[in-house]
Amino acid sequence: MRIASVGAKAEGVGLRVGMPLADARAQIGELSVVPFDPVLDQDWLDRLAQGCARYSPLVALDAPDGLILDIAGTEHLYGGEAELVRDVEMRLARLGMTLRHALGPTADAARALARYQTRPAPDEGQAIRRLPVAALELEAEATTALVRAGLKTIGDLASRPMANIAARFGADAAMALRRLLGDAPSPLAPRIALPPVVADRRFAEPLGSTPHATKVLAELVDEAIEELGERGKGGRHFRATFFRSDGLARSIAIETGHPTRDTGLVMRLFAERMDSLADPLDPGFGFDMIRLAVPRLEALGASQLKLEGGAVRAANEVAAIDELADRLATRLGRGRVRRLRPADTHIPEQAQLALPAADAPPPLPWPAPEAGEPATRPFHLFDPPQPIEVIAEVPDGPPHHFRWRRQAHAVRRYEGPERIAAEWWRRRDNGGLTRDYYRVEDAQGRRFWLFRHGLYDEKPDPRWYIHGVFA
Amino acid sequence: MSEDPETGFAELVAATNYSFLRGASHPAEMVAEAIALGMTGIGIADRNSVAGVVRAWAFLKEQQVKRPEVVEGFRLVVGARLVFADGTPDIVAYPVSRHGWGRLTRLLSTGNLRAQKGDCILELQDLLGHCDDLLLIATGGDEALLRTLKQARRKSVWLAATMSRSGADARRLIELERLSAATGVPLLATSDALYARIAQRPLHDIITSIREGTTVQKAGKLLRANGERHLRSPAEMARLFKNHPKTIEQSTKLLACIQFDLEDLRYEYPHEPVPPGWKPFPYLHHLVKTAAERRYGTPLQPKVRRLVGNELRLIRRRGYVYYFLTVYDLVRFARAQDPPILCQGRGSAANSIVCFLLGVTSVDPMKHDLLFSRFVSAERDEPPDIDVDFEHERREEVIQYIYDRYTRDRAAIAATVIHYRPRSTIREVGKALGFSEDVTARLADTSWGSWGDEVPVERLIEAGLNPHNGEIERLHRFVGELLKAPRHLSQHVGGFVLTEGRLDELVPIHNAAMEDRTFIEWDKDDINALGLMKVDVLALGMLTCIRKCFDLMRAHDLGNHTLEVDIDCDDPEVYGMLQKGDSIGVFQVESRAQINMLPRLRPEVFYDLVVQVAIVRPGPIEGDMVHPYLRRRNKEEPVEFPEPSPPHPPDELHDVLGKTFGVPLFQEQAMKLAMVAADFTPEEANGLRRAMATFRNVGTIENFREKMIGGMVARGYKQDFAERCFKQIEGFGSYGFPESHAQSFARLVYVSSWIKHYHPAVFACGILNSQPMGFYAPAQLVRDAREHGVEVREVDVNDSHWDNSLERRADGSLALRLGFRQVDGFREEWAAQIVDARSAPFASVEELARRAGLPSRALRLLAEADACRSMGLERRPALWDARRVRQGVLPLFGAAETDELGAEEDAGLPPTPMVEHVLTDYQTTRLSLKGHPMAFLRRDFAREGVLSAAEVAAAKNGSIVRTAGVVLIRQRPGKGNAIFITLEDEGGVVNILLWARHFERYRRAVMASRLMLAEGEVQRSKEGVIHLMATRIVDRTAMLDTLGSDRRFDPDVCRADEVRHPQHPRGYAAKHGHPRDVRILPKSRDFH
Repeated sequence: MRIASVGAKAEGVGLRVGMPLADARAQIGELSVVPFDPVLDQDWLDRLAQGCARYSPLVALDAPDGLILDIAGTEHLYGGEAELVRDVEMRLARLGMTLRHALGPTADAARALARYQTRPAPDEGQAIRRLPVAALELEAEATTALVRAGLKTIGDLASRPMANIAARFGADAAMALRRLLGDAPSPLAPRIALPPVVADRRFAEPLGSTPHATKVLAELVDEAIEELGERGKGGRHFRATFFRSDGLARSIAIETGHPTRDTGLVMRLFAERMDSLADPLDPGFGFDMIRLAVPRLEALGASQLKLEGGAVRAANEVAAIDELADRLATRLGRGRVRRLRPADTHIPEQAQLALPAADAPPPLPWPAPEAGEPATRPFHLFDPPQPIEVIAEVPDGPPHHFRWRRQAHAVRRYEGPERIAAEWWRRRDNGGLTRDYYRVEDAQGRRFWLFRHGLYDEKPDPRWYIHGVFA
Repeated sequence: MSEDPETGFAELVAATNYSFLRGASHPAEMVAEAIALGMTGIGIADRNSVAGVVRAWAFLKEQQVKRPEVVEGFRLVVGARLVFADGTPDIVAYPVSRHGWGRLTRLLSTGNLRAQKGDCILELQDLLGHCDDLLLIATGGDEALLRTLKQARRKSVWLAATMSRSGADARRLIELERLSAATGVPLLATSDALYARIAQRPLHDIITSIREGTTVQKAGKLLRANGERHLRSPAEMARLFKNHPKTIEQSTKLLACIQFDLEDLRYEYPHEPVPPGWKPFPYLHHLVKTAAERRYGTPLQPKVRRLVGNELRLIRRRGYVYYFLTVYDLVRFARAQDPPILCQGRGSAANSIVCFLLGVTSVDPMKHDLLFSRFVSAERDEPPDIDVDFEHERREEVIQYIYDRYTRDRAAIAATVIHYRPRSTIREVGKALGFSEDVTARLADTSWGSWGDEVPVERLIEAGLNPHNGEIERLHRFVGELLKAPRHLSQHVGGFVLTEGRLDELVPIHNAAMEDRTFIEWDKDDINALGLMKVDVLALGMLTCIRKCFDLMRAHDLGNHTLEVDIDCDDPEVYGMLQKGDSIGVFQVESRAQINMLPRLRPEVFYDLVVQVAIVRPGPIEGDMVHPYLRRRNKEEPVEFPEPSPPHPPDELHDVLGKTFGVPLFQEQAMKLAMVAADFTPEEANGLRRAMATFRNVGTIENFREKMIGGMVARGYKQDFAERCFKQIEGFGSYGFPESHAQSFARLVYVSSWIKHYHPAVFACGILNSQPMGFYAPAQLVRDAREHGVEVREVDVNDSHWDNSLERRADGSLALRLGFRQVDGFREEWAAQIVDARSAPFASVEELARRAGLPSRALRLLAEADACRSMGLERRPALWDARRVRQGVLPLFGAAETDELGAEEDAGLPPTPMVEHVLTDYQTTRLSLKGHPMAFLRRDFAREGVLSAAEVAAAKNGSIVRTAGVVLIRQRPGKGNAIFITLEDEGGVVNILLWARHFERYRRAVMASRLMLAEGEVQRSKEGVIHLMATRIVDRTAMLDTLGSDRRFDPDVCRADEVRHPQHPRGYAAKHGHPRDVRILPKSRDFH
């Protein structure tokens, strides 16, 4: 593992980016190390960029750790460049950030000055000429060659014919130089946040009836869905806000298990939700505005019917189940509707998980039972298993008689044991009791799933339990 | 056939951890458990392999000696579990005879050679083609398969029945019984064991998770539902199979069918080396006799005749004639090449006059009296051990000769069993237990120190982990369990097994990772245990260096030398040089510790070199034998021999310790000591030797402690002396040095010293051309050469070759011209292009590019390395020109041989400051002839009162000084009480010693400095060895950066530096290292 970034203190004691972590630990006993998470870093930079929108509408990311702001024409709002910089510094300091900044005539120049300037200079032009050639950000080999040739600063290069430089270091190097010097434009790629989909409608005359409002909502949903379609997205979360003319507003939200662009579905869910409201929507003196927002979008490709037709049925069935789940969840609450999912373990009661249907990952196939074999697990398991009294052969023979819920059962037929050992890694002593499962049938033909909890060499007197009943 | 379950039971389907990542128990553990459970026998069958069977067999043999009454009647049968690629269920196969064994190994070889390394691709058809004399146990209930097998092997097929506890056992068993009745194949009860005891289930889950690349938490049903696949006692099996008692009886029946024992594997060395018309022994006799007469003249002295006669008799009686002739054949081949490949034998053979006369070794036993004839002693029923070192660059020729001469059917390299290494084990077990990477990395990465056979709890604490945390405890436990396990097989560095018959009928053969290499499944311990013989074809860098030196000497009329006996080892000037500690580059004695020892030991004769080589080793140091030896040799202390109390003869140790002034230094002495002074039988002494030699069994040596110390004290020796002797033997365990080895090495020490002394330019050139080898980086070697008055010339396009070369100076002496190989990143073919095109001097970069057809990268490297000065271009202008030359020449200009590029105005580049030249030299060639970086800092340091190395050397003993320099070596040897640092400046080196108690404080500075300042007291020993006992270390690396370089100045540290090049003790490498990484000549860690 290598160091991705160091703080000022660590740098002070000689730790460097790229150093193996082991070497760093060998040098400094007490290191605080955080795993490098480029996604989080990017996220943070994004948020800073968002915040900087207050200074300029043109904010560009200079990943992984820089922002470029085009402040031409906006600085006067802060009382000049210096004041603006001070404001940025103050706000970032509050966030625990240190700022290294520069102002320049072009984006490239400002960027290079911020990142490479080591010596102060009387003016911007001088400052740029004093930058090291590394500021051109050529390949390492070319930078080394420039330095080895004795050309160490941008000024050294600028004083030599551009053609000679291009002949040796390529047109890109010459271009980079011209950009830094301001002889060539350096375009800025501003960062634009994708606004969520919003559709609203205002009314000159407030709407007095709820059905009418619902109709308008349907139109808004249509509009929003059209926009979603253009973007190749589907909505997971829809929120309708009804603004009343007296100033009050009421929001109603629905969620779907999968991204959708189906107006019918969305409207059905809204209808479900409105029906189930304890406190129904009340127009009062009428709504003067209705807004539909889709705050949560996910990618959704266009669905296509198969050429031969009809074959999308299976998918339709899945969709129908999804829709049902969405409707039930809308009505009952999202935690109430669950979907079973197989879990990969030998422990019977942990072999399936019940996850909220809305959030469940795509279903996994269930293991197919072996052909010709009887069911080895009952449909329903007792949770927890219920203790029973058993007369059985020691050490690992089948039960002969057992008593469950005060009723005696004589075992006529049995199969087993199926031995399932404990998951030792869950226990501190790396142990745990082994279970011996038996499928048994009593005199009346009823089938039970019993187990002895523990082998005789694990526990002196292991208990028996019933874990389920076969149909 | 009685119905009584007491008839016994043998588990016949048992895998060991040689079924890599599938079995969890060691073969010996399996056998031990089977014995403990009272089984009649056990069958070891690993997955498409017989790699583990010898371990099981050797263990049983050992038990038969140790506890005959317990293992009486216990049978071990060996075979393999055949796993097919075509979907056929696994079949376990056991050979009933030697012939059957050959069929099995050929079958496995077929599958192995069909696959890439480490795999075995078998199909049912292969088995049917090789199934003579094999007993087969089918594991799947497939009727068609059973009928096919039955047809092929009639009464020798069984069907395995297990109680897997999967719920439907009873039904399945009835189904199998029906199948058995229908096909006439009897059912055999088995546990299909993957481990010895049920307690090993967690370990098995771990290795399953490692195999599947998952964690135990996520593995789910990849893990077994229960821990039933362990060995069970006959009574337990009888209980489980009480409804099918016949299945139990079948196991003993099967056992009774097998006559084969690994003991039956006898093999013969190839007969090729004997010319037609000769019988082997008379031929060997003839060779030895003619050589003896040539060497010692006729008639032979009686002593020679007696020695030769004794050895030849022993060789004949033991049947080693072909073996000696085979080794002779290899050596003869190497010498017959043009130019000859230098080689030299070592190992116990170095004591043998026959080996000497055959030219295998170059130490004359008549001249250099050896202590004991360890070579093939009568009590050791073990094959002789001959290792031959060849030049490291040309060993491959010898290997290919072996393959050509004996064919791949009859020659292959032995295996090395790669065991789990602590670091990777921590990572893998940690991963399997679901630890995050940073925790395991924290634990696994420590820069110094190493791990032995276990992970001590201190390491956990050092890594900042709480050893009492349940998870960490678990990690610690499983790492400990897995550490003893084999991980995979790889090829040995050079141990060849050759046979007269087909090798693949002796042992399965695998494809090695290297192309054109095959290796067998057994490693050197297995080969030893079975009494097979191997010859070690090893590679030694110093031989390459010496050969290159001899070549250079021939080319420059400095005499025609070979490694044979023509250099007498008695030139006082050579010893004079060594006595000064002037030994950089010299074989074996160039390390810091050896250099410090040389002025104390003051070698004067050849035997002193033998001692010198052997004394700076863990054995003598841990046994505290070094200082007594030095004192006695320098006559500061009377030579006394430890004496036993009467009635034992008081001078019984004179013979043993006479040559080393009463101090045991060599491995043989320690052994002999055990026999004479502690009443060891020859067999016990041999066991002790084996325990010393087998690093794997560090534990076993403990068994001898009581006996040795007790025995010596009982005989009247002092407790203290006995304990020191034993300590030393323990030290030999980590790296023992027998006298015979030391003799062979001492010769190379002498030869390399001789060249260094008389022809320093030749020596520097030879050693630079043999890099990488030895302790020192090229910068130090070049510096050393210049200190010895050699003129060293820079790399230049008009004068250099790929290799470093020698040029005549005006005064007739030789100068060293650095070659293009010193330029980082330069390629040999570019060098050849330059040399080919150099009919007339090159005048410009463009001309060089055109005539030599060099790519622009080559030109840039040359320019950056400042190799264009003869064209009147120093570094900057050359580089400026080189960058302008474009790849490829336009044909028109090429045809006209004119320059393509038009004239350009002068770029007016600023001149290069000297400091930048020096730093860039280091960056491009790792050395500078123009100066040393420290020279540019000297003024600043002088102002601070920091002394140069020369001033430190002149300082008074006991004065407190400060010095600074570039870090060359950092070592923390032995128990880690002290850290040794070597600093270099423009005038020399300073050796710093830092006690461990100061280390923690200056840890960062020690580990990270490239430029270090040390403050401390100058200590000068009476031999003139100077150390600075540091009390303060400061990292001054920042000073280097002020020199104004474009890149970090990062000088090469020596290969001995343990921070940049972590070293592991000998045992570590032997146990854990990949064989390709194992140094063929093991380097000692440095000891003082």
